[in-house]
Amino acid sequence: MKLLKELGIIVVSVALGLGVGAIITAATGYSVPAVFRELVRGAFSDMYRVAQTLTQATPILFTSLSFLIAFRAGLFNIGAEGQLFLGGFFAAWAGFTLSLPPVLHIVVCLFFGAAAGAVWGFIPGWLRARRGANEFVTTMMLSYVAIYLTSWLVSPGGPYHGHQWANQTARILSTAELPRMITGTQLSWGIVVGGLVALLLWYFLFRMPRGYELRAVGQNPLAAEYGGVDVAPTQILAMVLAGALAGLGGASEILGTHRRFIEGFSPGYGWDGIAGGLIARAHPIGAVFAALLMGALRAGGSAIDRAGVAPSDLAAVFQGLVILFVVAPELIRYLKRVRRRRRVHGRPEP
Amino acid sequence: MDVLSLDIMVAALRLAMPIALVALGETFSERSGIINIGVEGTALAGALIGATVAFFSGSSVVGLCAALGVGMLLGLIHAVWCVYLRADHVVTGAAINLLVIGLALFLTRVVWGWRGTSAAVPTLNPWILVWGMVGLIVLAQVYLFRTPWGLRLRVVGEHPQAADTAGINVFRTRVAYSVLNGALCGLAGAFLVNNLGRFSVGMVGGRGFIGIAAMVVGNYRPIPAFLAAYLFGFVDALQMRLQDVIPSHFSIMLPYVLTVVVLAGFLGRAHVPAALGKPYIKDQG
Repeated sequence: MKLLKELGIIVVSVALGLGVGAIITAATGYSVPAVFRELVRGAFSDMYRVAQTLTQATPILFTSLSFLIAFRAGLFNIGAEGQLFLGGFFAAWAGFTLSLPPVLHIVVCLFFGAAAGAVWGFIPGWLRARRGANEFVTTMMLSYVAIYLTSWLVSPGGPYHGHQWANQTARILSTAELPRMITGTQLSWGIVVGGLVALLLWYFLFRMPRGYELRAVGQNPLAAEYGGVDVAPTQILAMVLAGALAGLGGASEILGTHRRFIEGFSPGYGWDGIAGGLIARAHPIGAVFAALLMGALRAGGSAIDRAGVAPSDLAAVFQGLVILFVVAPELIRYLKRVRRRRRVHGRPEP
Repeated sequence: MDVLSLDIMVAALRLAMPIALVALGETFSERSGIINIGVEGTALAGALIGATVAFFSGSSVVGLCAALGVGMLLGLIHAVWCVYLRADHVVTGAAINLLVIGLALFLTRVVWGWRGTSAAVPTLNPWILVWGMVGLIVLAQVYLFRTPWGLRLRVVGEHPQAADTAGINVFRTRVAYSVLNGALCGLAGAFLVNNLGRFSVGMVGGRGFIGIAAMVVGNYRPIPAFLAAYLFGFVDALQMRLQDVIPSHFSIMLPYVLTVVVLAGFLGRAHVPAALGKPYIKDQG
């Protein structure tokens, strides 16, 4: 029952966001039915497009998990984008430098990506827990640092500039490639890794004592402290995990989709993770569905552009509106109250 | 290279202004109890709408007013979400940031056909704005600490129950200062457009967050926050000159690294308003 109620709120919030999105679409002179038709068609109409939606959803799943694990501990990881870039670079580095047997190589590369992200989560986590520095500012700042750093590594003059005309590294060895799930598409087994990680995270948060402690710190740090939880190490752990998850997302994207580190390879998957984590109401299993929704918006967005119906960035506007409504569950309760009051007073419904 | 030339000090003042405006707005907002990390997006919206309106009207002043207007609108949305709908402050701010980035990419495509940048727009002499703002900051310091209105504002952020008992409307006070914060952020965005002569989606580039850091370093006081913003502006001016010496990737990082270092060193000592980030629920009993 509680689950149904939560789901109802999310569905209404998404509908409200898309509704306001439709108004903006009409106001800027585009055809609302055409936009929504192409959005759905571009995301789901055939196997290739479904694969494209899933491909886009994969990194978003990881960054959604990254956002929500920090959020569960009462912290805000706004810097998943930078952690994703660092994770992607170090996975690629391990991919073209080390030579290992096939499956092991992939695991090692994923580990390198997660570790790089974890370091980038540890710094703001430590600064927050030990020095009181707002993690929403420091994660954002460190995100810029990571993006410029990886960009320098592959730019002309940088140590890993692997191509004459594009800022990217050399290709990873074939042993490090995450294989494609469907040939002819970009969809890799990264999405399965993501699903497994989501399950693991659910188990950690809701079935393990450390996960319970982490949630307790998020609910009320003082009460948790009184109950015997070490708040500072728990906060640091949450940020390290958040960084590792985003780093893993970058690694899976590089090993599965691009097979080399490319400057600016993420069109904003880190930011999508904030939206995904919020739409999922910080639940790891919910994040799978939220990531699918975000992935569909990205895939459908490119489709409305290709079809010449409207610019692809209209989908980003929809995303922003959806989460603006998702973060205010009280709005729906408020609208309901107003309706009930009207009914009681016998006034006609609007 | 002469680091402490007058030239660089003056350039720093211009670069510091958008950061100082955000810091000032956020000071008012957080003093009343509302955290707004949507300042980044609000400044971007000010820049976007300011540039669009200036482009079509041909007047930089009309653009500036539009930037103020859109900033106030976003400040109002943030306040309604945080005060009446009891949404989480940080999360609402993050939502505003995401929404504005989407709008900026979309609107630039609709209006100019390029993704994320505008055509050249009319500008005005930035020094009128700079000196106006320096005056504003001094006024704000006096307002906060030497007037009854400032005292009321601080009470709302420290002890909303007490403020309510004394007849101050906590909800309306928070909404009003959130709108003021939005206006100042919108102005910061318009200032960025005025500096560059066009809109670009990356033009705020974390300055909203740096503004929050400047407020923290300034311990929620307008003049110290302005001095902190000036430090960031100085580093920004410095890094532009350093680009001949070290790779530009590293010099661009300097303000961001400085922000982290400075926050790590300062926050423990800042006085945070006691009711910051907490929704006020009126006692029904």
